[in-house]
Amino acid sequence: MSIAVIRFPGTNNEHDVIRALRQVPGAEPFLVPSRLGARAVLDADGVILPGGFSYGDYLRAGAIAAVEEVMDGVKELAEGGRPILGICNGFQVLTEVGLLPGVLLPNKTSRFICKWVHLRVCDENTLFTEGLAGLTIRIPIAHAEGCYHCSDDELTLLEQEDRIIFRYSDEHGVVTPEVNPNGSLDNIAGIVNRRGNVLGMMPHPERAARPALSSADGMTILENFVRGARAP
Amino acid sequence: MLTKEETEHATRVLGREPNRTELAMLDVLWSEHCSYKSSKRWFHLFKTDGERVFLGIGEGAGLVDLGDGVLLGVAMESHNHPSQVDPYNGAATGVGGIIRDVISQGCKAVGLMNCLRFGPPTRPHNAHLLEQVVRGISDYGNSVGIPMVGGEIEFDDSYDYNCLVNVVCIGVATADRIVRSSARTPGHSLVLFGSTTGRDGIAGVSFASETFSDTEEEDRGAVQIGDPLAKKVLIDALEELLDEHLLDGLQDLGGGGLTSAAGEMASRGGTGVNIDLGTVPLREEDMQPWEIIVSESQERMLAVVAPEKVERVLEVLAQNEVPHAVIGRVTDDGYYTAVMDGEVCARLPVSLLVDGFPEPKRVEQALPVESTSLAWVRGPDDYAATVKQLLGSLNICDRSWVYSQYDQHVQANTVVDIGENAGVLEFPRGKLVAFTSDCNSFWCLLDPKSGAANSACEALRNLVSMGAEPILIADCLNFGNPEHPESYAQFVEAVRGLGQFSHDFDIPVVGGNVSLYNESVVEGRTFRINPTPQIMMAGLFPAESRPVRRTLCTPWANLFLVGRTHRELNGSEFQRLTLGHVTGLPPRYQPDDEKRTMRAMLEAHAAGLIRSCNNVGRGGLAVALMKMVLSGEYGFKVKLEDIPGTATSPTEILFSETPSRYIAEVTESNQPQFFEIMRRHKVPVAELGLTTQDAVADFGLFSLTISEAREAYSHVFERYLD
Repeated sequence: MSIAVIRFPGTNNEHDVIRALRQVPGAEPFLVPSRLGARAVLDADGVILPGGFSYGDYLRAGAIAAVEEVMDGVKELAEGGRPILGICNGFQVLTEVGLLPGVLLPNKTSRFICKWVHLRVCDENTLFTEGLAGLTIRIPIAHAEGCYHCSDDELTLLEQEDRIIFRYSDEHGVVTPEVNPNGSLDNIAGIVNRRGNVLGMMPHPERAARPALSSADGMTILENFVRGARAP
Repeated sequence: MLTKEETEHATRVLGREPNRTELAMLDVLWSEHCSYKSSKRWFHLFKTDGERVFLGIGEGAGLVDLGDGVLLGVAMESHNHPSQVDPYNGAATGVGGIIRDVISQGCKAVGLMNCLRFGPPTRPHNAHLLEQVVRGISDYGNSVGIPMVGGEIEFDDSYDYNCLVNVVCIGVATADRIVRSSARTPGHSLVLFGSTTGRDGIAGVSFASETFSDTEEEDRGAVQIGDPLAKKVLIDALEELLDEHLLDGLQDLGGGGLTSAAGEMASRGGTGVNIDLGTVPLREEDMQPWEIIVSESQERMLAVVAPEKVERVLEVLAQNEVPHAVIGRVTDDGYYTAVMDGEVCARLPVSLLVDGFPEPKRVEQALPVESTSLAWVRGPDDYAATVKQLLGSLNICDRSWVYSQYDQHVQANTVVDIGENAGVLEFPRGKLVAFTSDCNSFWCLLDPKSGAANSACEALRNLVSMGAEPILIADCLNFGNPEHPESYAQFVEAVRGLGQFSHDFDIPVVGGNVSLYNESVVEGRTFRINPTPQIMMAGLFPAESRPVRRTLCTPWANLFLVGRTHRELNGSEFQRLTLGHVTGLPPRYQPDDEKRTMRAMLEAHAAGLIRSCNNVGRGGLAVALMKMVLSGEYGFKVKLEDIPGTATSPTEILFSETPSRYIAEVTESNQPQFFEIMRRHKVPVAELGLTTQDAVADFGLFSLTISEAREAYSHVFERYLD
């Protein structure tokens, strides 16, 4: 499966994502500098928008990347049912272009925060969470603007449609305000679109990619992503 | 500013008076920061060679061979003066500069560390400096995408007017990608790339080579402004240039700007340079030649490129949208020539410019010898309260407020986060390397020589306690005004101490820098920092072995104290707590004991006999034991009797800071082999007691619950910073 990994100026997790994808049989990740435009992604079976600081996060995290022409290609693939995964800054870009609802505000501490967190995975089996439904996984976060926010109506929809895929929890999977690292609404760490093929998440699955890093929990998400790219 | 003697010397050598541009060039390159004119004469005391050393001190980064073709690069530098004046930008550009040092050598930057010193945050200005420095490092390092793997912070009144910001960058490379910082071949082109050149950071090195007065405000223009986005783009472009082997030489533009980069490369290559300042891409109008040639605008590099490769280099830079220009060429005349609008505006012999300064006379005063008296010691009425006080001390308490602001996991190689004895990164071919830094400035104040050597021992123990064998040292030597005999003596003594250590333990110094003039005159009073020889050390784990952490692993294992404990409470954190200051002779430097325990511990680790392990350091045995339970579920029950060494009273045993000691958790089945190894290395071992299921720290004489200890240890910084 050819997986386009997009690099905007300032993106800095592209090589980590590519390295993790290379561990997945059948995945053929390739780097797409955003200047190459929409044409460079249209043949891909799936797209990952990695983390980092696209355009230095100037203006607002993800805001400038969102208006790049390459994103037209990403939208087209999303409409065609291809899996799209936005991690951290990539999640911010996906909300900025409207592929996912809501916004990511500065953390409630107003500081960058890097730490290992636990995530409670939703009970429903989805494209990205097969084999993880209802489990608690351990993946690190690293962001300054990860406080998820959306309107009441949008939140109701997200809940009704089981689209909140990951919530910050304690190690036993209990979701409490105390373990919410950034002030996100409803402890939200990751959501999908209605069709279920576009996932945005603040934690970094590619940083929990092998036992040496003390967790390989992120690999299941990436493996599911690659499998999803096989059959739209 | 050049001294009268220096100007006269330059005039004599040139046979004429230097013009304005030349004076500006000499001013920056002959500054203490660039020339090391007060310090260089002592560097011969360091051990700098060794089997693993691939490239020693002298260029951007030192390179050490990890085996199997993997090279580790390391550079360390101070950014103290800029950070005191403009903490956010000063700290950020400190990080930017050290990254450039490492990548300009051909390495990929894979880790950062920072070592900070501030006055106590109880004073709002110090809290402000801490907050802004951390934010500057965080914003810059996180944006560029290099994980933070280690560092430390210490507070003392002596840093009130001179905070210290020392930064380390770690890189990785293979031998074929290494680029040297030299201009070897006349006729090759000089290509300047990265950001454009402006007026920021004009003569920053000169300002860093003087003491502060009450006029900090005027110095703000000497601080550079960082641009992490430009840096990331620069890194991406540089990767491509290195992949295609297009560069014959490369140096980053840091302190001294174009003067230093081109001058030093010509000096190393035994050549000259001819530069047309009119071709330098500028971001401001009407810049004078002298401004262009000494500007310290960030994110710039100067490459030496063979004629046939110029076209491709320019193509790569253009594709990546990196500003660039061919600004001159390498010559064979041994001169640094700069022209603008067809006129020569500077023509200096490279040999004069780079190290032709007249060596200044420096006077070393005999330092007072401290007393060994322990008359001040009084056993505390409430030991548990004292232990909690130590845990809550600013120099011991939890630092996660700082470290959680740094991205520690980007690049996905971080095996052990900050907060353990050392951070651990995975290098290519599965090689695990631990990184730590240390400096006990209180010991160094009382005796710079043994203080420096013992600070290095402490760093060494951080590595050894995890199972890593120390392989390299980098240092950053922060001291007061070398023109003052006492300050100068502190510097020289510390170099003697660290030099001695490097030879005693056979660990090469492969990188570092010197920051002098950390001394301020405020309202007529002189404030000098504690001598702060900041020592960074890296250690390699044997193949197939995993890092051992300090949190207790299992209940009902035995806890052993390895090494002797002496009555060494002078200079300790316990003394500071009791008296409010340090006094007396600090712990003795005992290389033989330290070496024996190191070898014994490394052997026991290699055999996999130790479940958890901690080094005994600041705060002594009490704090070392507590740190083994603060982030775990288990407790311990120990007794403080039959401890080898001269310490006898509970106060001495609990709080002495004698070096060469470790605490090891060893399960019963492993003990015969553990004892055998200790015996063979002639290392005394005392059984302290057991690990327990209850979250209680039971010292026999007294006890405290882990949760009350945690409360004392956590959220201390937040009291001053939120």
